[in-house]
Amino acid sequence: MAWRIGVDSGGTFCDICLFDEDSGQVAVWKVSSTPDDPSRGIAQGVGEGVGNVGAQASAIGYFGHGTTVGTNALIQHRGVPTGLITTDGFRDLLEIGRQKRPELYDLQADKPPVLVSRDLRFGVAERVHHDGTVEVALDEQALRAAARKLKEAGVEAVAICFLYGFVRPEHEAQAARIVAEEMPGTFVSVGHQVAPEFREFERVSTAVVNAYLGPVMQGYIQRLAGRLSDLGVGAAPHLTQSNGGVIGFEQAARLPVRTVLSGPSTGVVAAQELGRMVGMPDLITFDMGGTSTDVALLKDGSCRMAGEATVHGYPIKAPMLDIHTVGAGGGSIAYVDSGGLLKVGPRSAGAFPGPVCYDQGNHEPTTTDANVVLQTLNPTHLLGGRMAVRQDLAKQAIGRLAETLKLDLMETAQGIISVVTANMAKAIRVISVQRGHDPRDYTLVAFGGAGPLHAARLARELEIRRILVPRNPGILCAMGLLLTDLRADFAATRLMQLEPAAAPAIEAAFTVLSARAQEWFAEEHIPADRQASLRTVDMRYAGQNYELPVELPPGPVTAASLKALADGFAEAHRRQYGFADPDGTVQLVTFRLEATGRVAKARFAPQPDAGPDASAAIIGSREVWMPEAGGWTSCPLYDRELLKAGNRIQGPAIVEQMDATTVLLPGMTATVEPYLNLVLEFAA
Amino acid sequence: MNAITKPDRVAVNPITVEVIGSALSSITEEMGEALVRASHSTNIKERRDCSTALFDPAGTTLCQAEHIPMHLGSFIDMLPHILKRHPVEEMRPGDVFVGNDAYEGGGTHLPDIVLAEPIFDGDAIVAWAVNTAHHADFADRGHAHIFQEGLRIPPIRLYRAGQLQQDVQDLILLNCQVPRERLSDLRAQMAANRLGVLRMQALCAKYGRDVVLAAGEALQDYAERKMRAGIAAIPDGTYRFSDVYENPEIDGDLPMSCEITVSGDRMHLHFEAPPQVRAGLNMTRTALLATVYYAVKCLVDPTILPNAGQSRPLEVTAAEGTVVNCSFPAAVNGRCSTCQRVVDLIFGALAQAVPDRVIAATNGANTSITFSGSTPEGAPWIYLETVGGGSGARAGKDGLDGVQVHMTNTSNLPAEALETEYPLKLLRYELVDGSGGAGQFRGGMALRRVYRAEAACRVRIDSSRLRSAPWGLGGGADGSRAVIESGNLPYDHGTVLMQPGQVLSMLTAGAGGYGPPARRDPAMVARDVAEGRISREAAKAAYPQATLGT
Repeated sequence: MAWRIGVDSGGTFCDICLFDEDSGQVAVWKVSSTPDDPSRGIAQGVGEGVGNVGAQASAIGYFGHGTTVGTNALIQHRGVPTGLITTDGFRDLLEIGRQKRPELYDLQADKPPVLVSRDLRFGVAERVHHDGTVEVALDEQALRAAARKLKEAGVEAVAICFLYGFVRPEHEAQAARIVAEEMPGTFVSVGHQVAPEFREFERVSTAVVNAYLGPVMQGYIQRLAGRLSDLGVGAAPHLTQSNGGVIGFEQAARLPVRTVLSGPSTGVVAAQELGRMVGMPDLITFDMGGTSTDVALLKDGSCRMAGEATVHGYPIKAPMLDIHTVGAGGGSIAYVDSGGLLKVGPRSAGAFPGPVCYDQGNHEPTTTDANVVLQTLNPTHLLGGRMAVRQDLAKQAIGRLAETLKLDLMETAQGIISVVTANMAKAIRVISVQRGHDPRDYTLVAFGGAGPLHAARLARELEIRRILVPRNPGILCAMGLLLTDLRADFAATRLMQLEPAAAPAIEAAFTVLSARAQEWFAEEHIPADRQASLRTVDMRYAGQNYELPVELPPGPVTAASLKALADGFAEAHRRQYGFADPDGTVQLVTFRLEATGRVAKARFAPQPDAGPDASAAIIGSREVWMPEAGGWTSCPLYDRELLKAGNRIQGPAIVEQMDATTVLLPGMTATVEPYLNLVLEFAA
Repeated sequence: MNAITKPDRVAVNPITVEVIGSALSSITEEMGEALVRASHSTNIKERRDCSTALFDPAGTTLCQAEHIPMHLGSFIDMLPHILKRHPVEEMRPGDVFVGNDAYEGGGTHLPDIVLAEPIFDGDAIVAWAVNTAHHADFADRGHAHIFQEGLRIPPIRLYRAGQLQQDVQDLILLNCQVPRERLSDLRAQMAANRLGVLRMQALCAKYGRDVVLAAGEALQDYAERKMRAGIAAIPDGTYRFSDVYENPEIDGDLPMSCEITVSGDRMHLHFEAPPQVRAGLNMTRTALLATVYYAVKCLVDPTILPNAGQSRPLEVTAAEGTVVNCSFPAAVNGRCSTCQRVVDLIFGALAQAVPDRVIAATNGANTSITFSGSTPEGAPWIYLETVGGGSGARAGKDGLDGVQVHMTNTSNLPAEALETEYPLKLLRYELVDGSGGAGQFRGGMALRRVYRAEAACRVRIDSSRLRSAPWGLGGGADGSRAVIESGNLPYDHGTVLMQPGQVLSMLTAGAGGYGPPARRDPAMVARDVAEGRISREAAKAAYPQATLGT
């Protein structure tokens, strides 16, 4: 039982990372994805990967997995026919949302399609008030009739969500029972179980997304579990949730809405573990792929958790890492708009036809074409020689843009990089400065196919001084899965004032959450010495509707811990908004408990220091356009595989490896640290 | 010192301009987010009735965040009035000006209170951080003239070199019905501008003041070029349209018309309307300008940057002292619904020139409902909300159902927030069946909101399209009219008194259809019938081509 295995399955590739706990050996394997049923590609890849290292599937002791199945089903609207049962008078709320139109000035813009059509949304008489009193009892007859109509219509999932269901869940529970009786085998998603928090539209939206994706995720998980067990994998498989923690398959199938960001959050967790390994806890992640880029911020080794986010147009209330996505990547198309300014993205040439230089029929220049013209990317071939590129075609395409802009070719190519860099910087400002963090205090972790290529200029734009490029930027996510703890979040909304008398109520709220966490620890077979809990309270001034999370010190709730909450809140408010109101009444809104089951993690062995001389890794040189050095600049070319711990490289330089290229600007240095990650620094 | 800097125009390449442009929009968005999150009133924290912007030292818009188009009207005149009233030499870092007056600068109606703060780079002003928030106060007032509508605040210092002018603040708060909420919201507005100042200073430190200022001017030139390119693509000619405006405040209909002349890359818009009235529906000139800029931008090119450059190719005229260009001391509180009708006029006229870009008439109002009363302890409470409705059908697509249109885009308040904060219950919130105008493409559906009072309160309803109907285009039918269902409640010109347990319903208007109903795809008719968006009977009457069972 020595092998740990991480599988990151994306749109193009399925990456597999294997780690031998006994020897410390790490092996990676990459196969093409099978988008129609990703479990097929995964099983194939796992089988091959395990065979490659000469092991048996039965020797796998841990299986961790990040997937884009949920995200893709939501983007492509491939969920199941879904019904909704809600309070009478509110069946259109799902469609009305917050009554805002999608775009302010674009009259042609549409809202994202409603996931439940109007004829499958039923209002049923019942009414609870905000204080939990019941004005109208649930009309069971009407509910039963609605369930029968939904059954007739052939829905495969039903969302049940009433006003104030999070305050008083009886009506929802009663409805769920009746639906289960009338429609056995149907996936049922209940508001107070999925998102027990206030704001009815966002809650109903979450319950509906959960229902819509439920059978898709269940089916996927069952197929994958079946294939893995056919292969002889005995270990219980785990899946990354949007909160970055992994969870058992069975749990994941129950609340699929919590795994919508499984893919991107895997990257964040990987970066987090990488930061821990190399001792850099304050990180900004920069995961740049072909069509989009995900960024996130980690302070003291942890990423801010958002309680709610809009995912592909649908509001979801679930613990999610605060990941910001921009529609720009290597395949993004550059063009000149009607006012004469250069724009890049969000339209992308994708993997096919891909950039102009791939010579597969696209004629519009992309970010990758700009890099090929500038020769930051290899001008003759990519992917370690497996793919030829046509620099002449890229030059022609960018030349056409240059004519329109009345700039020269190289200025235009460099301009595309500058515009992409500005877009990325804007995204990073959203997760840093907008949350009160100065990016200059952080290390940029660059991964994904295009991250290391653009990181230096992005860092300079944001005045970030240090960049961390992982050993294998292209498969960081899969590796991260070998390093991820089990994680579940529990929350309860109980509005109260921060005052001495509140201590017992706070204690009581956390007692309930702790009990639920204990149940979960038991289900996941996590021994006591591997359990950890973190308690936070979302707080605000009375009158505000947005809260700031504040940590509650461990132990019983005392006057001292109440003071810690008060001080923590005042400080958080000052940092966020520039003031604290000493006379303001402070409210406690949502109590959260984050339960962690620490898993035995892959331990990577540090390599001995081979000294600063990196000349053995030089495999040639290339002229690269660097305006920083006045134009064409001769850059030494390093092979990443040949770099040894302790090696130092002086910029300008290019480091190539199979799935990524790292650019060092003039004046930068790179050091290979003991785990073979590259640390790039600007001269002080 | 402290002079307005007018840099020698440094040459900035289009890429730097684009990069600085994204920084400016990111700053205004960030200011807006801080304002919403730190605020206390439901109108801002949930309904987001606020906007943020950056201005250049001369007082023209550098960038406005995409919140509420109407608020541009509040911004246009604030800085010119500040600069007229206060010598720039006397301004210091940390000065903050407050204003709301429709005639002396800062507003298109009194509840929109503007805070403006000069941004210093060294000893020179490089820009202004400005934001406006709709303070849901000044309720249950008269609207014969502006003195009845609330406290008029000319642009004056609320902070002097970082020091709160307590006297000024005390004066403002004493004139408000819910002072604690006002104070908290003003603090949130301060937080928003503070961020704007910090971020803009950082931008100047990075690129240099002259480059940022030059980029700001280049961005305005860029917006102008795009606007001109868009106008040039519209066929030259003179286009006219007329309609009526009515609302619960007045008896009878006000005829309104416009004449739009497109020549080359310029556009002249002229409006005719009756003399201003003793009611809150009059529009200031700045409100008219904000409306024209919005409407033309939608039709010409929605991606044009929201800065002052977009207005350069436009000439706007209307006789002074009329409803669409009112003079002191006309009342203006409910100007937004009138502005919505002006958008209809512009769209109606330009439908003759660019029929594919224009949409049919929307619900045509900024339906706003203000509830006010007293708590058991005697403290006043005020709750304001605005309700969306149908959006006009498009050439090729149905209209949007149940949304805010044109000059506003505020959120609704969740029932779970509404009922927790105020003695009101929301009984229904839904689309109104059959309200979208028939057409090859159907008009958007209206909204119904049904309230029950849990304590006595006074309700004021401002709406429109109660007597006239939102028109269809190209053979499309009209949308349904708005209806106030007050039953037996005492009702007078939009004012209703409610006792505990009494119920009031507001049905906003639907929107007009586009193209002849006979051309609607029968499958879409069947879909609408299955979804109950239109009754089987109505579908049979409007769409004979559809095969519908019984």
